[in-house]
Amino acid sequence: MKRMKFEIKKLDDALEYASKQLRLQPKYIDIEVVEKKGLIIKSYIVEATVNVDPGEFGFEMLTTMFETMQIDASIEMKKRNGNEIRYDIQTNENAILIGKGGKTLEHIQYYIRNLINSFSDERKIVLVDIGGYKANRKKQLEIIATKTAKKVARSKIKAKLDPMNAYERRIIHTKLAEWRDVRTESEGQGKARKVVIIPTRK
Amino acid sequence: MEVNYEKLIKDLVFPLVVHPKDLLVKKFSEENDTLTFQVIVNEDDLGRVIGKNGRIANAIRTICYASASREGKRIKINIDSF
Repeated sequence: MKRMKFEIKKLDDALEYASKQLRLQPKYIDIEVVEKKGLIIKSYIVEATVNVDPGEFGFEMLTTMFETMQIDASIEMKKRNGNEIRYDIQTNENAILIGKGGKTLEHIQYYIRNLINSFSDERKIVLVDIGGYKANRKKQLEIIATKTAKKVARSKIKAKLDPMNAYERRIIHTKLAEWRDVRTESEGQGKARKVVIIPTRK
Repeated sequence: MEVNYEKLIKDLVFPLVVHPKDLLVKKFSEENDTLTFQVIVNEDDLGRVIGKNGRIANAIRTICYASASREGKRIKINIDSF
């Protein structure tokens, strides 16, 4: 739980102060007086605690979002290692929610991750998958990685893959990390950044 | 039934702002299949709603585009403070 302790003169101002400091609406914050100080000039030691569970909040957000969009969705939330939250979503409109090249899915994940981390004191890893898209994509990428690496190892000519985002590049790097005949590097900037598979032995 | 885009946008922006009373989402215009929405937030909240390099604003837009594309519509969202 995200929380903070501070000293304040007027108790009425405590919630507003905490709201500003934590950058959250007052309704998401509980205030508790820990200690009263002073006889003539009074002040209070106050503890402010965020009263929402980040994971549940993300779940609610996705649920209302799909309801408003009039899309039937079932969402499964899984927590792992204390700091990872996964949402596996099945809907009747998977294609539209995944978008071209997974763009919409990526944006949904970015938004939910940002939201959850604003309620959380530790950095949460938030993953959103729709209709098993990411799992399938991972398999595909691993096949591409292995195929290309074999070709590179045989021909000793380096090969560039298509531009990919960080997550997809990571899959390729990880898959080929233990190969002795090739090594991998990323080159290019921003959206054009791509993996290069390079032969190690001449 | 038509999707209530005002609610969709409002739900997405609401938890990001510290001043919910100053949040205003309004349909600005409707031409052919293009809907324009105006989102107005408190000055303090503008940075949070737009995000680093506009990434949160873009995420909100993409989610709304996806919803609108189901109905063959296009959505424009302007975010501003007063």
